[in-house]
Amino acid sequence: MKPAPFEYHVPTTVEEALAHLRHYGGEAKVLAGGQSLMPLLNFRLSRPAALVDINRIGALSYIEEENGTLRLGALTRQRAIERSDVVRSRLPLLTEATALVGHLPIRTRGTIGGSLAHADPSAEYPAVLTALEGQVVARGAGGERILRPEEFFRTYLTTTLGPDEILTEVRLPIPPPGSGWAFEEFSRRHGDFALVGIAVLLLVEGTRCAKARLVAAGAGPVPARLRGAEEILERDGLTEQSFEAAAARAAELVEPDSDIHASAAFRRHLTRVFTLRALRKAARRIHGGH
Amino acid sequence: MEALTPKLVGARVKRLEDRRLLTGQGSYVDDFRPPGLLHAAFLRSPHAHARIVRLDPAAARALPGVAAVATGAEIARLTRPVRALSKMKEYRVTSFPPLALGKVRFAGEAVAAVVAASRYVAEDGLDRILVDYEPLPAVSHMEAAMGAGAALLHEETGSNLLLAREFATGDVDSAIAGAAVVVRERFRFRRHTAVCLENRGCLAEYHEGTGLLTLRSATQCPGLVRDILADLLDLPEHRIRVIAADVGGGFGAKSSLYPEEITVAALALWLRRPVKWISDRREDLLATSQAWDEIVEAELALGADGTIVGLRAEVTADVGAYSIYPWTAAIEPVQTISFLPGPYRVPHYRAHARGVTTCKAPMGPYRGVGRPVAAFVMEGLMDRAARLLGLDPTELRLRNFIRPEDFPYKSPSGIVWDRAGFTETMLRARETLGYEAARAEQAQARAEGRWIGVGFASYVELTGIGSAIPVSPGMPVATGTEAATVRVDPSGTVTAIFGIASHGQGLETSLAQVVAEEMGLPLEHVRVVHGDTALSPYGTGTYASRSAVLAGGAGILAGRAVREKAFTIAAHLLEADPADLVVNGGRVAVRGTPDRGVTFREIANAAYSGARRLPRGMEPGLEATRFYDPYFGTASSATHAAIVEVDRETYEVTIRRYVVVEDCGRIINPLIVEGQVHGGVVQGAGAALLEEVVYDGAGQLLTGTLMDYLVPAATLVPTMEVHHVETPSPTALGGFRGMGEGGTIGAPAAIANAVADALSPLGIEVSELPITPERLFRAMPDSGGADRGSRA
Ligand SMILES: Cc1cc2nc3c(=O)[nH]c(=O)nc-3n(C[C@H](O)[C@H](O)[C@H](O)COP(=O)(O)OP(=O)(O)OC[C@H]3O[C@@H](n4cnc5c(N)ncnc54)[C@H](O)[C@@H]3O)c2cc1C
Repeated sequence: MKPAPFEYHVPTTVEEALAHLRHYGGEAKVLAGGQSLMPLLNFRLSRPAALVDINRIGALSYIEEENGTLRLGALTRQRAIERSDVVRSRLPLLTEATALVGHLPIRTRGTIGGSLAHADPSAEYPAVLTALEGQVVARGAGGERILRPEEFFRTYLTTTLGPDEILTEVRLPIPPPGSGWAFEEFSRRHGDFALVGIAVLLLVEGTRCAKARLVAAGAGPVPARLRGAEEILERDGLTEQSFEAAAARAAELVEPDSDIHASAAFRRHLTRVFTLRALRKAARRIHGGH
Repeated sequence: MEALTPKLVGARVKRLEDRRLLTGQGSYVDDFRPPGLLHAAFLRSPHAHARIVRLDPAAARALPGVAAVATGAEIARLTRPVRALSKMKEYRVTSFPPLALGKVRFAGEAVAAVVAASRYVAEDGLDRILVDYEPLPAVSHMEAAMGAGAALLHEETGSNLLLAREFATGDVDSAIAGAAVVVRERFRFRRHTAVCLENRGCLAEYHEGTGLLTLRSATQCPGLVRDILADLLDLPEHRIRVIAADVGGGFGAKSSLYPEEITVAALALWLRRPVKWISDRREDLLATSQAWDEIVEAELALGADGTIVGLRAEVTADVGAYSIYPWTAAIEPVQTISFLPGPYRVPHYRAHARGVTTCKAPMGPYRGVGRPVAAFVMEGLMDRAARLLGLDPTELRLRNFIRPEDFPYKSPSGIVWDRAGFTETMLRARETLGYEAARAEQAQARAEGRWIGVGFASYVELTGIGSAIPVSPGMPVATGTEAATVRVDPSGTVTAIFGIASHGQGLETSLAQVVAEEMGLPLEHVRVVHGDTALSPYGTGTYASRSAVLAGGAGILAGRAVREKAFTIAAHLLEADPADLVVNGGRVAVRGTPDRGVTFREIANAAYSGARRLPRGMEPGLEATRFYDPYFGTASSATHAAIVEVDRETYEVTIRRYVVVEDCGRIINPLIVEGQVHGGVVQGAGAALLEEVVYDGAGQLLTGTLMDYLVPAATLVPTMEVHHVETPSPTALGGFRGMGEGGTIGAPAAIANAVADALSPLGIEVSELPITPERLFRAMPDSGGADRGSRA
């Protein structure tokens, strides 16, 4: 388990990094926290000609709030997000999801940009990005592209990011105060990738559910927006009956695979269970409840 | 003469080796970097079963930094193939070449080795070896492997059935036919692997000047490896030194001889350069011995009052691609039928075991060997019988335990149980658990719709096995003795040298306690040395829960011999009668007159000063080597009790309480015994709930990373309540019984029974381990899962 030979560059600016990527014409890989890339290199499943290590580009690591949006530099460590007060107060859904990403040593190195660019459909961040209807910023030779989740995630471990582009920023709209939110998941052991994860965001106006966002991780090739289930909530309101109906619908909508850890049928079952748990939890949190 | 030093045997002494190990001062194989070191990497077969049509190493040899590429044919010229022999009647001997010869039999089998200046270059070299394989049909299911159409794995045998053995006592067929109740089940215990913190690895150096080959290996059995290497490499034994310094866990998986050890040793001889190989996690998961993987069809017959009248079983084991040296492919299945009757009186018994070869990593010993499966089956049958008879499961066990008046008891498979506290461990477990209260809480929880279950498992195992019985059935290697050298230097400090090898069990501490107590010395005066064939008297290593009994016994004998001589010298120096002497804290004095004494240092000094200070005619020096053979072996037993909860929605099992009452005879160090129980129970809980080696139908390993082979994490582990019943062994020196494996034997059965108890209102039985959420989901009557059924 040693990687094949590669050349190694450590740029300190995005421009420099982009120049390296262009130089290798698609044969180079960006190295962020290395928590997904290093295993692939060590198994020789990925054999890039060069690594462009972006860990020294300080300008890619920040958490800023601006006009109702949280902007996170792509190199921001998962652990920094987990501990950020701004994130906790403005986007507690992200805090809750982050704590479920692997184990502490992984979050200490792993980055939000790396997780999104890696695009594992069982991962938490892609589901959160989708639930929040956020955006990612991709920078390349031709400038910046701003991509919505449905424009970004293509299929398993594949995004629309070009080989000479760098993901530089993640933009997450801050839901209005009083919203309900939850991230609930099931894994065989603490810290494992989820068999099924559910991100929920509920926006209310008076007693009405103005907007429901329900996204499943681990239930298909990309994070799955469960629109049919969202519609039930937006139509019937936030009652135990509508939660159950939405959870049942969610289980129909997902398209999970079978593997050694769980069959598709069990993942569907878990989708129902965790959608219901997440909805109940999110509803309790509306207007600051717990 | 007697020792007055505060008792060391039985004391909760903190482990002497922990400071070294926990502060990074341990020395593992990978810590050694001799000058001129080369690194080996192994090319491993991507196919489960294939003929090697062509193997071309030219491009790899041409790579700068590559010192050599070895193929199967080249290694075959330097060594003999390994053949694990057995005296068992129905056993077919097969060869296990260090590197594949003509054919590969499992995905992960070593095909070639590249030796290079670094591991990186060595792996680059692997990329450049060209191999043309002609794929053959994979043999992946043990039952299909015995069918007519199955491909043959070992042409030399003519059958994929490598072994069969039967034990029979009485007339079981009539007993079952006439019984009031009979319970039957087909049990399935899935395949496992040991995940040691330190991967396997070895480093071989050949010294031209002395002609000495030194192999450092992460092995449990330096002596065993030395003996067989001498044979395979055709070197005199005294020119081979095998060292197992610190070893980061073994669990049985490091007790066998491995192809990589032979290859690395042969390469060092060939290249006259030190060669090191450190297994990575992928290789460990692919090619380290695996375990258990059995189908057991069993029937238990009882009278209306719950008395066992007969037990009948058919055991089929998937022994993988090769018969592992020295234990052979028989070790798991034959142990299973040897121990199936457990701690119960079983008058009529017949059990038949078969070992079938398939395209998987070889099966080898793993903590518990055979007995985790035996306990899972027997204890599962006991609970089924209790349910059928409407009896309390603990009561049914108490009615059937071998009673004190039955000892020594000859089991239906021919094992003799010296004496053990079966009934006591059960009664104490019930009491510790607060059994009545636990049942009341369970009833309450059930009324609230929760699935809570209580499960028990009692077992007995044979440990500290002497020369009367081979450790593995039919194995012609002698495993019945161990030796100790106790050497006092002129300053009075003691070095105690053993042929066993500690790899996490704390033997440096327990053996020091035994020797220090025997000699009447403070603990810090004794330093234990182990795991080095050049330093120790003859021994094989640590396996089969033997080291406390065999090495402990040898330590007592050697310590006693030295103490006796020391007393004779002291008596001479003090002009006293040896019978009047007492030793306390390293000082020997005349009883009643503590002022008239000499220190151990003065005695030792005298011992090396020659005739002037020694009794007339006494040989100078102060050391002794003694061998010990416990002849039969000792019975170790325990009762485990678990309370679990099954989540009604996720089918996740949570262990709420865990109680162990064990009987390992006289305890040397309760802290170490409890630590061994804790670790064993965690492995058993992994077996019950998580761990499963999975191969697909094409023989490809699907659990090749630790994201897929799930070992228990801290969150699974409950607080354990461990209690001791001490029934000293009547036969073994010191009264010790071996106990390193027990935790893993009891836990799968206890947890399985607890889950079955939790689910009993649904009529769901647990017949397959591990109990995964997926399996429980499929067993649920309303699951809509792929294959509905009432078995988990
Ligand atoms: C044992 C273990 C358990 C884990 N469990 C979880 C879990 O439960 N949930 C979870 O979500 N994740 C989990 N992970 C993965 C972890 O979150 C990774 O950190 C994350 O997937 C990748 O982030 P990284 O910064 O380490 O990226 P890297 O590994 O460095 O890179 C990953 C990929 O993204 C690309 N990339 C990285 N950054 C950029 C960028 N700025 N622009 C363009 N491309 C980029 C790389 O080229 C590479 O292809 C686990 C990892 C391990 C080892």
